[in-house]
Amino acid sequence: MAGRSGGRGWSLGSRAVQAAFLIMLVVLWYLATTRWRVNPLLLPNPVAVLRELGDILRSGEFVDDLRITLTELAIAFALATAGGIVTGYVISRAAYLIRVFEPLFAGIYSIPIILFLPLYVLFFGLGPASKIALGATIGFFPIVLNTIAGFGYVERMLIVAARSMGASDYQLFRYVLLPAALPVILTGLRMGFTIVLLSIIGSETIASLAGLGHRIVHLAEGMDMARMFAYIAFVVVIAVVLNMIVSTLEARGKRQ
Amino acid sequence: MTDDIAIRVRGVSHHFGEADEARHVRALLDTSLDVARGELLCLIGPSGCGKSTLLNVMGGLLEPTTGNVEIGGKPARGPMPRDIAFVFQENALFPWNTVFENVMLGMLFQGVAKAERETRARRSLEAVGLAGFTEHYPGQLSGGMRQRAALARALSLETGILLMDEPFGALDEQTRMILGEDLSVLLARTEKTIVFVTHSLGEAVFLADRVAVFSARPGTVKQVISVNEPHPRKPEFATSEKFTALRNQLYALLHDEIRKAVSQTASATADGAA
Amino acid sequence: MTAGALDIKRILLRHPGVARLGVIVFLFIAWEIAARWFVDPMFLSPPSRVVASLHRVWQTPGVPAALHITLWELGIAFALSVIIGLVVGLAVGLQPFARRSTLPIILLLYGTPQITILPLFILYFGIGPASKIAFGVSHGIFPIIVTIVAGVQNLKPILLVSARSMGASRWHVLRYVVFPHMIPSFFAGMRLAMTGVLLGVLLAELYVSTAGIGHFTTLFTQAFDPTKLLGLVAILAAMAIVLNEVVRRAEVKFSRWHTN
Repeated sequence: MAGRSGGRGWSLGSRAVQAAFLIMLVVLWYLATTRWRVNPLLLPNPVAVLRELGDILRSGEFVDDLRITLTELAIAFALATAGGIVTGYVISRAAYLIRVFEPLFAGIYSIPIILFLPLYVLFFGLGPASKIALGATIGFFPIVLNTIAGFGYVERMLIVAARSMGASDYQLFRYVLLPAALPVILTGLRMGFTIVLLSIIGSETIASLAGLGHRIVHLAEGMDMARMFAYIAFVVVIAVVLNMIVSTLEARGKRQ
Repeated sequence: MTDDIAIRVRGVSHHFGEADEARHVRALLDTSLDVARGELLCLIGPSGCGKSTLLNVMGGLLEPTTGNVEIGGKPARGPMPRDIAFVFQENALFPWNTVFENVMLGMLFQGVAKAERETRARRSLEAVGLAGFTEHYPGQLSGGMRQRAALARALSLETGILLMDEPFGALDEQTRMILGEDLSVLLARTEKTIVFVTHSLGEAVFLADRVAVFSARPGTVKQVISVNEPHPRKPEFATSEKFTALRNQLYALLHDEIRKAVSQTASATADGAA
Repeated sequence: MTAGALDIKRILLRHPGVARLGVIVFLFIAWEIAARWFVDPMFLSPPSRVVASLHRVWQTPGVPAALHITLWELGIAFALSVIIGLVVGLAVGLQPFARRSTLPIILLLYGTPQITILPLFILYFGIGPASKIAFGVSHGIFPIIVTIVAGVQNLKPILLVSARSMGASRWHVLRYVVFPHMIPSFFAGMRLAMTGVLLGVLLAELYVSTAGIGHFTTLFTQAFDPTKLLGLVAILAAMAIVLNEVVRRAEVKFSRWHTN
């Protein structure tokens, strides 16, 4: 059980493997398109992809689509947060309400709600409204569930202690419930954000006239592989950056 | 002559980590001990004095940096499941198996013939008083009952030697008392050699034939005291004058070592926090 | 309050499940009222009509076959996810070096928004079931790998020491200690994998489909037929619920020993 598995030696080794993996991937990709004659309609040359990416960024072509996607994201997330936290707080006030609603929400959350996209498209059309509505619906659930968990399961002793010292309802909320519930709620918000982002991109991919998801589909249909890959990379980077920001905010909020 | 000595420990020293590393710890220093066949020897000492380390060395679970151990004349080099069975402090039962399955599994590991396993299992579970709880999972039992199950598993292996590492350490005092009395009765019937690590002075005097007192880290045997009292020990023994005298003797030997150990920990924490 | 009302209140209080059912019923009634009198019938259809027309959905040529295909895609994708995930998870989890080096890569892949490469999957695997299965597997393997690695990792060392002290061989340890310990994690992973597979397969189906359910959702949407669309979506939702429930029950059954 004991052995040279601790210390600094191993982390260099494993980092080396990770770096080697990424480098190997890129090298294979390059070789595949140049030496091994893989059909450029399947796999574009990485250099071409980079060139297209540069072109996209320089020309600012991405701005409109990015603005649409981010707007949809922001509004959907705001709606989900408002609805989720208020509903979650109200339900958390009574153990009975929790027992009634929590399994209900958890049950609905377990099915892929994106399934209802055609309904939303039918109702709201192909424009941003359907994406926002669906995103808000999907994002609502992790937020409400975590808010219920956060406010509803505050350590009994803390509430008893505060009440015994004469805390009013407002004081109880501000000084006991809120700080106790905050870490869980922040996690719920982070999860909600991630899932709203995914749902927005997803619904743009499936049924939309604009936005980053739609742009990728458009390029796929036109078989413009290099440019499509460039946009995919672009979107992935944006998604990763946004998620990192949100995770950092979550950690920051939890630390104090 | 060697037949009378079940475990022979010679000049065992052990340290963890290399000398220049921060986590270097000298656990044992030049420890020598003879455990007679059929006796119950207690190892007692302050925290961190290496008694658990010595137990693991005796059982072949740990190879000492210097020194050697002989089990019945043979050098100990790795686990010897046919000769030595362990009872650990807690959590050594497999939580996904019932009590009965746990006991059966131990024998499977050791290599007991299938036909014999069930009889042995039922016998040992009966001996520890768990006959009615065989189909329970460890998670459903109290701490005391879990340790009984662990003991049953060790007994069913029918080894000559039993090594017990603070088996009652996680239990409350009342459970410890009962289990101690039951253990004494149980062991009086067998002829096992037992080495028993404990923190409790009363437990050591109540159960042991001899008590080896350890110094603070790095641990070495400071003194060995004999308790000349026949087995099984009666509950009345615990309130006798002889018991109190022995207990006081242990206390006198241990008190300074315990203080030393506590200041060792305090300075270690201070270093760590600095 | 009348005696009857008091009784109802008592029943509701003692059985939150009944109250939950009541909430669902209430929602359906609200839906019914809204669809009948407030919303343009081109956009929303009342549940009564949807239920009554379910048979017409079923009779639409190609729909039963499409549902059948979807079910197959889900099954195969799930099975593949479990098998591949199990093999990779064990390979990574049992070897400390493999875990330290490959796990970050796996987690990185797990975290990327796979939806962006859905068009790529279609380009590579075609518009038939293969791409749907592939996309489903690509969503399903990760939770299994991650939960198995976690399950192997949090095995308490004392259990291994204990087994070793009783003379267990390497095979004994794997079979009687590592495997049984891992089972609750494995089933939890399967539950998450089912969610992932459902998501992947259905997303791919909705994206493009010539004979699958995606084709019919598009058809019904473009024909402004909310009744049939709701019916089809309801059937799919029911399918998802049943599949999830099956895996969840299995998880509970096989984790009986897992306290708390």
